Amino acid sequence: MKENSYHLHDPTWCRGCGIYGIFAALKKAAASLQIPPERMVIVTGIGCHGRLNNYFNAYGFHGLHGRVLPVAAGVKLANSSLAVLAVSGDGDAYSIGVGHFIHANRRNVNMICIVVDNRVYGLTQGQTSPTSQKGYVSVSSPFGSKETPLDGPRLAIVSGGTFVARGFSGIPEHLTALIIEGMTHNGFSLIEVLSPCVTHNKINTYKWFKEHIVNLDDDTNFSAKNKKKALEVLSDQSKIPIGLLYHEERPSFDDLSLPSDTPIALTKLDVDEKKLDAIMKDFM
Amino acid sequence: MISDIQVMIAGYAGDGVLFTGNVLGKILKRQGWEVVTYRDFPSNIRGEAMNYTIRASLNKIYSRGDYIDVLMAFNCDAILRHIKSVGENGVILCEGSVTESVRLSPKKGRTFHKFPMRELAKKNFRSEIFKNTILLGGLCYILDLDMKIIREVLSEVFLKRKGKEIVEKNIQALRLGCDEAEKIIKEEERHSLEERPDKDRLFLSGDEAIALGALAAGCRFFAAYPICPATEIWQWLLKHIHKFNGLVVQTEDEIAAINMALGAAYSGVRAMTSTSGPGASLMMEGFSLAGMAEIPIVVAHVQRVGPSTGLPTRPEQSDLNQWVFGAHGDFPRIVLSPGTIEECFYFMADAFNLAEKYQCPVILLTEQNYGQNFYTVEKFDLSRVSIDRGMLLSQDELLKIEDYKRYALTENGISPRVVPSMANGIHMVEGNEHDEKGYRDEDEEIRIKMMNKRMTKLNIAAKDVIPPKLWGKEESDIGIIGFGSTICPIREAMDQLEEKGISTKYLQVRTLWPFSAAEVEEFMSSCNTVFVVENNYSGQLSRLIQGQGVECSRVHKINKYSGHTFRPVEIAESMLGVLEQ
Repeated sequence: MKENSYHLHDPTWCRGCGIYGIFAALKKAAASLQIPPERMVIVTGIGCHGRLNNYFNAYGFHGLHGRVLPVAAGVKLANSSLAVLAVSGDGDAYSIGVGHFIHANRRNVNMICIVVDNRVYGLTQGQTSPTSQKGYVSVSSPFGSKETPLDGPRLAIVSGGTFVARGFSGIPEHLTALIIEGMTHNGFSLIEVLSPCVTHNKINTYKWFKEHIVNLDDDTNFSAKNKKKALEVLSDQSKIPIGLLYHEERPSFDDLSLPSDTPIALTKLDVDEKKLDAIMKDFM
Repeated sequence: MISDIQVMIAGYAGDGVLFTGNVLGKILKRQGWEVVTYRDFPSNIRGEAMNYTIRASLNKIYSRGDYIDVLMAFNCDAILRHIKSVGENGVILCEGSVTESVRLSPKKGRTFHKFPMRELAKKNFRSEIFKNTILLGGLCYILDLDMKIIREVLSEVFLKRKGKEIVEKNIQALRLGCDEAEKIIKEEERHSLEERPDKDRLFLSGDEAIALGALAAGCRFFAAYPICPATEIWQWLLKHIHKFNGLVVQTEDEIAAINMALGAAYSGVRAMTSTSGPGASLMMEGFSLAGMAEIPIVVAHVQRVGPSTGLPTRPEQSDLNQWVFGAHGDFPRIVLSPGTIEECFYFMADAFNLAEKYQCPVILLTEQNYGQNFYTVEKFDLSRVSIDRGMLLSQDELLKIEDYKRYALTENGISPRVVPSMANGIHMVEGNEHDEKGYRDEDEEIRIKMMNKRMTKLNIAAKDVIPPKLWGKEESDIGIIGFGSTICPIREAMDQLEEKGISTKYLQVRTLWPFSAAEVEEFMSSCNTVFVVENNYSGQLSRLIQGQGVECSRVHKINKYSGHTFRPVEIAESMLGVLEQ
């Protein structure tokens, strides 16, 4: 499989949108891992990121706003042989779906979640999002946002996440490497991607992100195995760390819960009278 | 010889009333009798009054009876609360002494005895906990139960969990209770039925029947959030589903539950969730997605009293509107309503088959009355359960298709379905309006075609759903219509009216949507008087009938919304009140 095996259509996001970088990184990662398109399921939420299914050649599920993670977990648990990608946005994952986000991290189903963070509601024309910075002026906060922004990776770590990373769509090679690493991690992998919205967010531009990010790969003192350290670098409000923030090996929900190695979806479905008869004896 | 007895155990939450009642129910079932229970308990762990009614009979029975024959009370308050329900010649046993004012209450032939279960337990076993087995011992004497059966049931209950020593201690407590009762109960106060062989029968709740039915029907994925009175469904499944390579997931809320089930169903697994009123409200969004994306899922909804948190452990039928009319947008849905414990089991296979055949959500709507009460039934016939996966294609079939379209426009609206991992089948499942391949499309013509396609499926399904069932005398011109578990008191009320020389007939609506309008209309036109009996305030079924354009001028509504089921006599008297005018 080459990169273009995953290219279904040319996207029509706004010219310069950060999602182009994510689209490219995803195709590269899939090709690098040689995942057949029919063995990949991409579940998307509502937002500009939700159009990904229209361009990426894989099985796609475009459901409800905020409900990406439970759907993706259902897909994966029903057929553990599939590569399942949940793609969500900052509104989708951190606002309307934040409850699912917290529980997905602690549940640790073996799948990858990409949160496209553009710090604004793009599809509904530019409202303030949970990651918009304090004072952010938009159609929904004309006098500036009064709320403290939410830090997804930090929330993921304290929720029990086992693989927490942040990438930037302006550095696609770095992002591709993170996605590959996340897809090979056994458990729930969160990759938040800083993704500029060129149409609605005039504050958090490519230039702005480049000025504010620090790459953890350059920090020789940093170790992703150290939870305390990860929370420490995330608490520095002046910089935005990118790279693998936290990584822990822990049996996944799949390992702990699935009754056998045979995916549920591939089990022959019949009325097993003998087994059912034995169970019915409990009621006699 | 009597043929019917009703026992009530009353106390406070925390007294072990539910446990004792469950054990007694099993014992009476093993005696070979028909058993029906009625558990009346608050949504609270300790301290509030509760009671457990168990009716046993040599004949087929459907609901709790009107009067109590034996009342076993852990406190005197319980006597005051239930004295009105104790029938003539009823026996009342109470932990303490009964006050004079209670003794003087009007009904004849009732006898009162002090039966100090707590005291006896403390004195003989140094632990109050044995009071419940002493109570069972007392009942063993009054009802002349088979000691061998009780020993057997007690061993089953305690051996695995508590060990041999506890079983022996309980048997001693049972003997003690029996001996103490013999000292105080006169021979004429005993109520005994003839023991019969107990063969090929089950004793289970509606929730358990749904769970067993789901397992038989091939449900292999279940996601749910705890809620009374539906939790028993998945708690039971948890014990067994792994034997079938299936999984139960407890989710963070009902929104996640229905979406996770949707994900699993999309992957090709028979998946479901269960809930009650408040959870169902949270599920409406996912319900609508299932309709739009044409994903076959099943929701078992065990109704409780609403609105809001309502009365979480008590029965009502007020969520019919929620599933028949609820959620945004027009989309096909099928709502089934089982009226017996057997139907709770058999309808699960229908639910999954209909969901896969018509690729739409199917709701199984029951009530707390069935969910959390136990009934004796004939062992389920597994040969009656079959699995029909509808237009689900195999990999070989899919490879023969040149350009696969998930939402292909067909004459009956049903498109061949494939699941992820299949080669040559890549497609989109969309909650937005979409074209035949599943890709978002806002074209006006496509929108109309897709709406028509989805709604056409419902027209076809209407001919394939479970028709209403007629009970009673077909030639009678007095008709009753209802759905769900109200069939229990209705059938008992019909028997009471028959004894008075009034023949009636009952139409049990078993599919609420698509509604069986033609059958209901035909039934109504054969009656001079029609009663619609419902456990709700507004008459949701009668409004549904009216909404279908059926002529309703002769309809009399009988509604109860007190948090309890009808007593048979309440229905019979309401009907007599109208008929005698």
